[in-house]
Amino acid sequence: MDQDEQDRALPIANVSRIMKQILPPSAKISKEGKQVMQECVTEFISFVTGEASDKCHKENRKTVNGDDICWALSSLGFDNYAEAIGRYLHKYRQAEREKINHDKKYENPHINRAPPPPLLLSRVTRDKVENPPPSPPNQSG
Amino acid sequence: MDKSEQTQQQQQQQQHVMGVAAGASQMAYSSHYPTASMVASGTPAVTAPSPTQAPAAFSSSAHQLAYQQAQHFHHQQQQHQQQQLQMFWSNQMQEIEQTIDFKNHSLPLARIKKIMKADEDVRMISAEAPVIFAKACEMFILELTLRSWIHTEENKRRTLQKNDIAAAISRNDVFDFLVDIIPRDELKEEGLGITKATIPLVGSPADMPYYYVPPQHPVVGPPGMIMGKPIGAEQATLYSTQQPRPPVAFMPWPHTQPLQQQPPQHQQTDS
Repeated sequence: MDQDEQDRALPIANVSRIMKQILPPSAKISKEGKQVMQECVTEFISFVTGEASDKCHKENRKTVNGDDICWALSSLGFDNYAEAIGRYLHKYRQAEREKINHDKKYENPHINRAPPPPLLLSRVTRDKVENPPPSPPNQSG
Repeated sequence: MDKSEQTQQQQQQQQHVMGVAAGASQMAYSSHYPTASMVASGTPAVTAPSPTQAPAAFSSSAHQLAYQQAQHFHHQQQQHQQQQLQMFWSNQMQEIEQTIDFKNHSLPLARIKKIMKADEDVRMISAEAPVIFAKACEMFILELTLRSWIHTEENKRRTLQKNDIAAAISRNDVFDFLVDIIPRDELKEEGLGITKATIPLVGSPADMPYYYVPPQHPVVGPPGMIMGKPIGAEQATLYSTQQPRPPVAFMPWPHTQPLQQQPPQHQQTDS
Protein backbone atom coordinates (compact mmCIF):
# COMPACT_ATOMS: atom_id res chain seq x y z
CA MET A 1 0.00 0.00 0.00
CA ASP A 2 1.63 3.28 -1.12
CA GLN A 3 1.37 6.67 0.61
CA ASP A 4 -1.64 7.80 -1.41
CA GLU A 5 -3.56 4.64 -0.51
CA GLN A 6 -2.49 5.00 3.13
CA ASP A 7 -4.09 8.45 3.20
CA ARG A 8 -7.35 6.93 2.01
CA ALA A 9 -7.34 4.20 4.67
CA LEU A 10 -7.98 4.29 8.39
CA PRO A 11 -4.84 4.71 10.52
CA ILE A 12 -3.20 1.35 11.22
CA ALA A 13 -2.47 2.29 14.85
CA ASN A 14 -6.18 2.86 15.56
CA VAL A 15 -7.13 -0.38 13.80
CA SER A 16 -4.49 -2.30 15.75
CA ARG A 17 -5.68 -0.80 19.05
CA ILE A 18 -9.25 -1.96 18.39
CA MET A 19 -8.06 -5.45 17.39
CA LYS A 20 -6.17 -5.82 20.67
CA GLN A 21 -9.33 -5.02 22.67
CA ILE A 22 -10.90 -8.39 21.89
CA LEU A 23 -7.76 -10.55 21.93
CA PRO A 24 -6.22 -12.07 25.07
CA PRO A 25 -3.24 -10.16 26.50
CA SER A 26 -0.78 -12.86 25.40
CA ALA A 27 -1.93 -12.65 21.76
CA LYS A 28 0.13 -11.00 19.06
CA ILE A 29 -0.83 -9.65 15.64
CA SER A 30 1.47 -9.88 12.64
CA LYS A 31 2.21 -6.74 10.62
CA GLU A 32 0.55 -8.33 7.58
CA GLY A 33 -2.51 -9.09 9.70
CA LYS A 34 -2.84 -5.43 10.71
CA GLN A 35 -2.45 -4.27 7.12
CA VAL A 36 -5.09 -6.70 5.84
CA MET A 37 -7.52 -5.60 8.55
CA GLN A 38 -6.84 -1.97 7.64
CA GLU A 39 -7.71 -2.73 4.00
CA CYS A 40 -10.78 -4.72 5.02
CA VAL A 41 -12.27 -1.96 7.16
CA THR A 42 -11.61 0.64 4.46
CA GLU A 43 -13.37 -1.60 1.95
CA PHE A 44 -16.24 -2.01 4.43
CA ILE A 45 -16.79 1.77 4.53
CA SER A 46 -16.74 2.02 0.73
CA PHE A 47 -19.07 -0.96 0.34
CA VAL A 48 -21.71 0.31 2.77
CA THR A 49 -21.38 3.92 1.55
CA GLY A 50 -22.00 2.77 -2.03
CA GLU A 51 -25.24 1.07 -1.02
CA ALA A 52 -26.40 4.05 1.06
CA SER A 53 -25.51 6.43 -1.76
CA ASP A 54 -27.56 4.40 -4.26
CA LYS A 55 -30.59 4.70 -1.99
CA CYS A 56 -30.17 8.48 -1.78
CA HIS A 57 -29.81 8.71 -5.55
CA LYS A 58 -33.01 6.71 -6.12
CA GLU A 59 -34.90 8.91 -3.67
CA ASN A 60 -33.49 12.12 -5.21
CA ARG A 61 -31.69 13.15 -2.03
CA LYS A 62 -28.26 14.72 -1.88
CA THR A 63 -27.24 13.95 1.71
CA VAL A 64 -26.29 10.54 3.09
CA ASN A 65 -27.51 10.29 6.69
CA GLY A 66 -27.46 7.76 9.53
CA ASP A 67 -30.71 6.10 8.47
CA ASP A 68 -29.26 5.39 5.02
CA ILE A 69 -26.24 3.70 6.59
CA CYS A 70 -28.51 1.62 8.83
CA TRP A 71 -30.61 0.60 5.86
CA ALA A 72 -27.51 -0.26 3.80
CA LEU A 73 -26.14 -2.48 6.60
CA SER A 74 -29.41 -4.37 6.80
CA SER A 75 -29.67 -4.62 3.02
CA LEU A 76 -26.16 -6.08 2.73
CA GLY A 77 -26.81 -8.80 5.31
CA PHE A 78 -25.21 -7.14 8.34
CA ASP A 79 -28.32 -7.63 10.46
CA ASN A 80 -26.50 -7.56 13.81
CA TYR A 81 -24.78 -4.32 12.82
CA ALA A 82 -28.04 -2.74 11.62
CA GLU A 83 -29.75 -3.50 14.93
CA ALA A 84 -26.87 -2.21 17.06
CA ILE A 85 -26.23 0.85 14.90
CA GLY A 86 -29.95 1.68 14.83
CA ARG A 87 -29.90 1.84 18.61
CA TYR A 88 -26.66 3.83 18.60
CA LEU A 89 -28.12 6.32 16.11
CA HIS A 90 -31.22 6.77 18.27
CA LYS A 91 -29.07 7.47 21.33
CA TYR A 92 -26.83 9.83 19.37
CA ARG A 93 -29.80 11.87 18.12
CA GLN A 94 -31.24 11.98 21.61
CA ALA A 95 -27.93 13.31 22.96
CA GLU A 96 -27.78 15.89 20.17
CA ARG A 97 -31.31 17.13 20.96
CA GLU A 98 -30.44 17.48 24.64
CA LYS A 99 -27.27 19.32 23.73
CA ILE A 100 -29.20 21.77 21.51
CA ASN A 101 -31.74 22.42 24.27
CA HIS A 102 -28.96 22.96 26.78
CA ASP A 103 -27.20 25.39 24.45
CA LYS A 104 -30.40 27.38 23.93
CA LYS A 105 -30.87 27.73 27.68
CA TYR A 106 -27.28 28.86 28.06
CA GLU A 107 -27.63 31.50 25.33
CA ASN A 108 -30.88 33.01 26.76
CA PRO A 109 -31.04 32.47 30.53
CA HIS A 110 -34.55 34.03 30.82
CA ILE A 111 -36.14 31.21 28.86
CA ASN A 112 -38.27 28.97 31.09
CA ARG A 113 -37.56 31.17 34.15
CA ALA A 114 -40.70 31.55 36.33
CA PRO A 115 -41.69 35.08 37.47
CA PRO A 116 -40.95 35.88 41.12
CA PRO A 117 -43.82 35.21 43.55
CA PRO A 118 -46.00 38.28 44.31
CA LEU A 119 -45.18 38.24 48.06
CA LEU A 120 -41.62 39.27 47.32
CA LEU A 121 -42.73 42.42 45.53
CA SER A 122 -42.66 45.69 47.42
CA ARG A 123 -45.93 46.95 48.84
CA VAL A 124 -46.12 49.82 46.36
CA THR A 125 -45.62 47.49 43.40
CA ARG A 126 -48.14 45.02 44.84
CA ASP A 127 -50.73 47.78 45.22
CA LYS A 128 -50.16 48.80 41.62
CA VAL A 129 -50.61 45.24 40.45
CA GLU A 130 -53.63 44.44 42.62
CA ASN A 131 -55.36 47.86 42.43
CA PRO A 132 -54.46 49.48 39.14
CA PRO A 133 -55.32 53.20 38.86
CA PRO A 134 -58.55 53.95 37.00
CA SER A 135 -58.00 54.75 33.38
CA PRO A 136 -58.90 58.34 32.41
CA PRO A 137 -62.32 58.67 30.74
CA ASN A 138 -62.32 59.10 27.01
CA GLN A 139 -62.94 62.70 26.09
CA SER A 140 -64.93 62.69 22.95
CA GLY A 141 -65.29 66.09 21.36
CA MET B 1 -3.23 -54.96 -52.70
CA ASP B 2 -2.25 -58.54 -51.63
CA LYS B 3 -4.21 -60.58 -49.14
CA SER B 4 -1.17 -60.73 -46.87
CA GLU B 5 -1.05 -56.91 -46.75
CA GLN B 6 -4.78 -56.75 -45.96
CA THR B 7 -4.44 -59.19 -43.07
CA GLN B 8 -1.48 -57.20 -41.71
CA GLN B 9 -3.54 -54.00 -41.74
CA GLN B 10 -6.44 -55.72 -40.00
CA GLN B 11 -4.10 -57.05 -37.31
CA GLN B 12 -2.66 -53.58 -36.76
CA GLN B 13 -6.14 -52.07 -36.44
CA GLN B 14 -7.11 -54.74 -33.92
CA GLN B 15 -3.99 -54.02 -31.90
CA HIS B 16 -4.83 -50.31 -31.81
CA VAL B 17 -8.33 -51.03 -30.62
CA MET B 18 -7.08 -53.42 -27.97
CA GLY B 19 -4.56 -50.84 -26.81
CA VAL B 20 -7.30 -48.25 -26.35
CA ALA B 21 -9.47 -50.68 -24.43
CA ALA B 22 -6.63 -51.64 -22.14
CA GLY B 23 -5.81 -47.99 -21.53
CA ALA B 24 -9.42 -47.20 -20.72
CA SER B 25 -9.70 -50.03 -18.24
CA GLN B 26 -6.53 -48.92 -16.53
CA MET B 27 -7.87 -45.38 -16.29
CA ALA B 28 -11.16 -46.58 -14.91
CA TYR B 29 -9.56 -48.54 -12.11
CA SER B 30 -6.66 -46.24 -11.37
CA SER B 31 -8.63 -44.25 -8.83
CA HIS B 32 -9.77 -47.32 -6.88
CA TYR B 33 -6.85 -49.70 -6.95
CA PRO B 34 -3.20 -49.36 -5.95
CA THR B 35 -0.77 -48.55 -8.74
CA ALA B 36 1.89 -50.95 -9.95
CA SER B 37 4.59 -49.19 -7.99
CA MET B 38 2.50 -49.52 -4.84
CA VAL B 39 2.00 -53.23 -5.35
CA ALA B 40 5.69 -53.79 -6.08
CA SER B 41 6.81 -51.93 -2.99
CA GLY B 42 4.18 -53.55 -0.81
CA THR B 43 2.58 -50.24 0.12
CA PRO B 44 -0.87 -50.78 1.59
CA ALA B 45 -3.83 -48.90 0.16
CA VAL B 46 -4.61 -46.32 2.82
CA THR B 47 -8.19 -45.17 2.85
CA ALA B 48 -9.18 -42.71 5.55
CA PRO B 49 -12.81 -41.65 5.76
CA SER B 50 -13.58 -37.98 5.27
CA PRO B 51 -14.17 -36.27 8.63
CA THR B 52 -17.16 -34.38 7.30
CA GLN B 53 -19.24 -37.31 6.03
CA ALA B 54 -19.73 -40.84 7.28
CA PRO B 55 -18.53 -43.84 5.23
CA ALA B 56 -21.21 -46.13 3.80
CA ALA B 57 -20.80 -48.86 6.41
CA PHE B 58 -18.69 -49.37 9.50
CA SER B 59 -17.01 -52.70 9.98
CA SER B 60 -16.11 -52.29 13.63
CA SER B 61 -17.61 -50.54 16.61
CA ALA B 62 -14.21 -49.01 17.40
CA HIS B 63 -14.16 -47.21 14.09
CA GLN B 64 -17.73 -46.03 14.62
CA LEU B 65 -16.81 -44.76 18.07
CA ALA B 66 -13.84 -42.84 16.66
CA TYR B 67 -16.03 -41.23 14.03
CA GLN B 68 -18.69 -40.29 16.61
CA GLN B 69 -16.05 -38.75 18.85
CA ALA B 70 -14.68 -36.66 16.00
CA GLN B 71 -18.17 -35.54 15.06
CA HIS B 72 -19.00 -34.72 18.68
CA PHE B 73 -15.76 -32.77 19.10
CA HIS B 74 -16.44 -30.77 15.94
CA HIS B 75 -20.03 -30.12 17.04
CA GLN B 76 -18.86 -28.92 20.46
CA GLN B 77 -16.30 -26.62 18.86
CA GLN B 78 -18.92 -25.10 16.56
CA GLN B 79 -21.26 -24.56 19.50
CA HIS B 80 -18.51 -22.84 21.47
CA GLN B 81 -17.72 -20.53 18.54
CA GLN B 82 -21.41 -19.75 18.14
CA GLN B 83 -21.67 -18.89 21.83
CA GLN B 84 -18.61 -16.63 21.60
CA LEU B 85 -20.18 -14.67 18.75
CA GLN B 86 -23.56 -14.42 20.47
CA MET B 87 -21.86 -13.16 23.61
CA PHE B 88 -19.92 -10.64 21.51
CA TRP B 89 -23.11 -9.16 20.05
CA SER B 90 -24.92 -9.02 23.38
CA ASN B 91 -21.88 -7.22 24.84
CA GLN B 92 -21.95 -4.74 21.96
CA MET B 93 -25.63 -3.99 22.56
CA GLN B 94 -24.98 -3.55 26.28
CA GLU B 95 -22.11 -1.18 25.54
CA ILE B 96 -24.30 0.90 23.22
CA GLU B 97 -27.00 1.17 25.88
CA GLN B 98 -24.42 2.55 28.31
CA THR B 99 -22.88 5.02 25.84
CA ILE B 100 -23.08 8.64 26.90
CA ASP B 101 -19.98 10.08 25.23
CA PHE B 102 -20.41 10.68 21.50
CA LYS B 103 -17.48 13.08 21.19
CA ASN B 104 -14.51 10.73 21.53
CA HIS B 105 -14.22 8.05 18.86
CA SER B 106 -11.78 5.21 18.36
CA LEU B 107 -11.42 6.11 14.65
CA PRO B 108 -10.90 9.57 13.11
CA LEU B 109 -14.12 11.00 11.65
CA ALA B 110 -12.28 13.13 9.09
CA ARG B 111 -10.61 10.02 7.61
CA ILE B 112 -13.94 8.19 7.50
CA LYS B 113 -15.48 11.15 5.67
CA LYS B 114 -12.54 11.14 3.24
CA ILE B 115 -13.12 7.45 2.42
CA MET B 116 -16.83 8.11 1.95
CA LYS B 117 -16.09 11.06 -0.33
CA ALA B 118 -13.88 8.83 -2.49
CA ASP B 119 -17.15 7.53 -3.97
CA GLU B 120 -18.01 9.94 -6.79
CA ASP B 121 -21.76 9.42 -6.33
CA VAL B 122 -21.65 10.75 -2.76
CA ARG B 123 -22.50 14.46 -2.78
CA MET B 124 -23.12 15.49 0.82
CA ILE B 125 -22.65 13.69 4.12
CA SER B 126 -24.61 14.49 7.26
CA ALA B 127 -22.70 15.13 10.50
CA GLU B 128 -24.06 11.92 12.04
CA ALA B 129 -22.88 9.64 9.20
CA PRO B 130 -19.15 9.51 10.14
CA VAL B 131 -20.08 9.09 13.83
CA ILE B 132 -22.28 6.11 12.95
CA PHE B 133 -19.58 4.69 10.68
CA ALA B 134 -16.95 5.01 13.40
CA LYS B 135 -19.03 2.72 15.61
CA ALA B 136 -19.88 0.32 12.76
CA CYS B 137 -16.20 0.06 11.79
CA GLU B 138 -15.19 -0.57 15.38
CA MET B 139 -17.68 -3.45 15.58
CA PHE B 140 -16.53 -4.75 12.19
CA ILE B 141 -12.87 -4.85 13.29
CA LEU B 142 -13.81 -6.54 16.57
CA GLU B 143 -15.98 -9.20 14.92
CA LEU B 144 -13.54 -10.03 12.13
CA THR B 145 -10.68 -10.18 14.66
CA LEU B 146 -12.68 -12.53 16.88
CA ARG B 147 -13.51 -14.81 13.95
CA SER B 148 -9.86 -14.75 12.85
CA TRP B 149 -8.66 -15.56 16.35
CA ILE B 150 -10.86 -18.68 16.36
CA HIS B 151 -8.82 -19.91 13.37
CA THR B 152 -5.55 -18.92 15.08
CA GLU B 153 -6.46 -21.02 18.12
CA GLU B 154 -7.54 -23.95 15.95
CA ASN B 155 -4.01 -24.01 14.58
CA LYS B 156 -2.49 -23.81 18.08
CA ARG B 157 -0.90 -20.40 17.50
CA ARG B 158 -0.75 -17.18 19.51
CA THR B 159 -0.11 -14.78 16.63
CA LEU B 160 -2.98 -13.65 14.44
CA GLN B 161 -1.85 -13.80 10.81
CA LYS B 162 -3.12 -12.81 7.40
CA ASN B 163 -4.28 -16.36 6.65
CA ASP B 164 -6.48 -16.33 9.78
CA ILE B 165 -8.33 -13.30 8.44
CA ALA B 166 -8.58 -15.08 5.07
CA ALA B 167 -10.14 -18.09 6.82
CA ALA B 168 -12.65 -15.90 8.67
CA ILE B 169 -13.63 -14.24 5.39
CA SER B 170 -14.04 -17.54 3.55
CA ARG B 171 -16.19 -19.06 6.32
CA ASN B 172 -18.87 -16.35 6.29
CA ASP B 173 -20.84 -15.27 3.23
CA VAL B 174 -21.37 -11.76 4.60
CA PHE B 175 -17.66 -11.07 4.07
CA ASP B 176 -17.75 -12.01 0.37
CA PHE B 177 -17.11 -8.38 -0.59
CA LEU B 178 -13.58 -8.75 0.83
CA VAL B 179 -12.48 -11.52 -1.56
CA ASP B 180 -10.59 -9.02 -3.74
CA ILE B 181 -8.37 -8.00 -0.81
CA ILE B 182 -7.06 -11.50 -0.11
CA PRO B 183 -5.72 -13.60 -3.03
CA ARG B 184 -8.14 -16.28 -4.24
CA ASP B 185 -5.69 -19.17 -3.80
CA GLU B 186 -5.27 -18.23 -0.14
CA LEU B 187 -9.04 -18.11 0.34
CA LYS B 188 -9.40 -21.55 -1.26
CA GLU B 189 -6.74 -23.05 1.00
CA GLU B 190 -8.31 -21.61 4.13
CA GLY B 191 -11.89 -22.40 3.20
CA LEU B 192 -11.42 -26.13 2.62
CA GLY B 193 -13.20 -28.50 4.99
CA ILE B 194 -12.52 -28.88 8.68
CA THR B 195 -9.25 -27.58 9.99
CA LYS B 196 -6.54 -29.78 11.42
CA ALA B 197 -7.37 -28.80 14.96
CA THR B 198 -10.75 -30.52 14.88
CA ILE B 199 -8.90 -33.84 15.32
CA PRO B 200 -8.04 -34.09 19.02
CA LEU B 201 -4.38 -34.69 19.78
CA VAL B 202 -3.31 -37.49 22.10
CA GLY B 203 -0.04 -38.62 23.66
CA SER B 204 2.67 -40.75 22.08
CA PRO B 205 2.25 -42.74 18.85
CA ALA B 206 2.06 -45.90 20.96
CA ASP B 207 -1.21 -44.65 22.46
CA MET B 208 -2.75 -44.21 19.04
CA PRO B 209 -4.81 -47.21 17.86
CA TYR B 210 -4.90 -48.47 14.29
CA TYR B 211 -8.31 -49.19 12.86
CA TYR B 212 -9.00 -51.62 10.05
CA VAL B 213 -10.83 -50.09 7.13
CA PRO B 214 -12.52 -52.63 4.85
CA PRO B 215 -11.67 -52.42 1.13
CA GLN B 216 -14.28 -50.33 -0.63
CA HIS B 217 -14.23 -52.35 -3.87
CA PRO B 218 -14.15 -56.12 -4.32
CA VAL B 219 -10.87 -57.48 -5.68
CA VAL B 220 -11.48 -58.86 -9.15
CA GLY B 221 -9.27 -61.49 -10.75
CA PRO B 222 -6.37 -63.55 -9.40
CA PRO B 223 -4.02 -61.98 -6.82
CA GLY B 224 -1.05 -61.68 -9.19
CA MET B 225 -2.76 -59.40 -11.68
CA ILE B 226 -3.31 -55.68 -12.05
CA MET B 227 -6.61 -54.93 -13.71
CA GLY B 228 -6.47 -54.12 -17.39
CA LYS B 229 -2.85 -55.09 -17.91
CA PRO B 230 -1.51 -58.65 -18.26
CA ILE B 231 1.79 -59.32 -16.49
CA GLY B 232 4.71 -61.56 -17.23
CA ALA B 233 5.76 -64.72 -15.41
CA GLU B 234 8.57 -62.99 -13.48
CA GLN B 235 6.28 -60.27 -12.18
CA ALA B 236 3.60 -62.80 -11.30
CA THR B 237 5.99 -64.72 -9.06
CA LEU B 238 7.21 -61.46 -7.53
CA TYR B 239 3.70 -60.38 -6.56
CA SER B 240 2.52 -63.82 -5.41
CA THR B 241 5.42 -64.16 -2.94
CA GLN B 242 4.44 -60.96 -1.10
CA GLN B 243 2.32 -61.30 2.00
CA PRO B 244 -1.10 -59.72 1.56
CA ARG B 245 -1.56 -56.76 3.92
CA PRO B 246 -4.96 -55.33 4.74
CA PRO B 247 -5.50 -51.64 4.01
CA VAL B 248 -5.02 -49.63 7.20
CA ALA B 249 -6.01 -46.11 8.13
CA PHE B 250 -3.99 -44.36 10.80
CA MET B 251 -6.42 -42.39 12.93
CA PRO B 252 -5.28 -40.79 16.18
CA TRP B 253 -8.38 -40.85 18.38
CA PRO B 254 -8.21 -40.90 22.18
CA HIS B 255 -9.23 -44.02 24.13
CA THR B 256 -12.37 -42.71 25.78
CA GLN B 257 -15.83 -43.98 26.49
CA PRO B 258 -18.48 -43.17 23.89
CA LEU B 259 -19.98 -39.79 24.62
CA GLN B 260 -23.72 -39.27 24.69
CA GLN B 261 -24.53 -37.14 21.68
CA GLN B 262 -26.74 -34.26 22.69
CA PRO B 263 -29.41 -33.06 20.29
CA PRO B 264 -28.14 -29.92 18.54
CA GLN B 265 -29.55 -26.78 20.10
CA HIS B 266 -31.17 -24.37 17.69
CA GLN B 267 -29.12 -21.22 17.78
CA GLN B 268 -29.30 -18.01 15.90
CA THR B 269 -27.12 -17.99 12.80
CA ASP B 270 -24.27 -15.52 12.74
CA SER B 271 -24.52 -13.26 9.77
